[in-house]
Amino acid sequence: MDILALDTESAHWLRDLQDEGGARDDAIARLHAMLVRVARGEAVRRRTTLPARAAEEVDDLCVQAANDALMAILSKLDTYRGAARFTTWACKFVILEASARLRRHAWRERKVELDDTIWDRLSDQAPPVLQRLEDDQLLRALHRAVDAHLTERQRLIFQSVTMDDVPIDVLAERLGSTRGAIYKTLHDARAKLRRALTDAGYAEQMQ
Amino acid sequence: MTDHRLDQILGTTGRDPGCDAGLDSIDEYCDIVARGDPVPARFADFLTHLGNCRACREDTEGLLAVAREEQNRSGR
Repeated sequence: MDILALDTESAHWLRDLQDEGGARDDAIARLHAMLVRVARGEAVRRRTTLPARAAEEVDDLCVQAANDALMAILSKLDTYRGAARFTTWACKFVILEASARLRRHAWRERKVELDDTIWDRLSDQAPPVLQRLEDDQLLRALHRAVDAHLTERQRLIFQSVTMDDVPIDVLAERLGSTRGAIYKTLHDARAKLRRALTDAGYAEQMQ
Repeated sequence: MTDHRLDQILGTTGRDPGCDAGLDSIDEYCDIVARGDPVPARFADFLTHLGNCRACREDTEGLLAVAREEQNRSGR
């Protein structure tokens, strides 16, 4: 594969990390320090979603995320093509590692289960998007479509993500799956529901 | 229920490449936005996915904050 023309800083990172001498060790140390800083920054950005008295645990999660991200970056260094700056490419790994850990941490004491009473609670306990559902008829049609057309796993994932605001990382962990697979299940469930609602006479709302 | 509200529950009908393909594009997309350049049309599917997936949207916001910081630091 072609490597795009790199900016000077990205070229230096790549050169140093591929060096066989001391420059590599120094570059790895600088990279790790940057990853830890970015992970901590992400934790600060997400602080409102995290338990109040868990600062030390959160910092441990950030360091773990930086460690795992560093390993991933070094093992995938030869896949870096220069489409983004090296630092942005590298920070992608730590953002993904840190955010998944932080989302799972925020949900660690909460259950994820299929709860059909959520349909009755939408008006007063659901996320804002569902509080705004004004068309009861369409909501009832949606509920019927969920019951009639989704498998139990699809119902759990659809209702958890769209009604209970469960992050897909959390579902992936609890269901022994991956984020991509959980999203695919959600995507397929949504497509089924769109078709069912269209067949039930709600084509105009589906457009 | 407005179309927009329904889209938030059922997702949009545009082509959605999913999380794995979306994450392949996230760094390039964030650099383009951080530079203030126009986002090329080839990112349309990625943007559809961001509209449908809260986790990827949050991760993109996080990486964009880093890309902007790096952009400001390097003065480019």
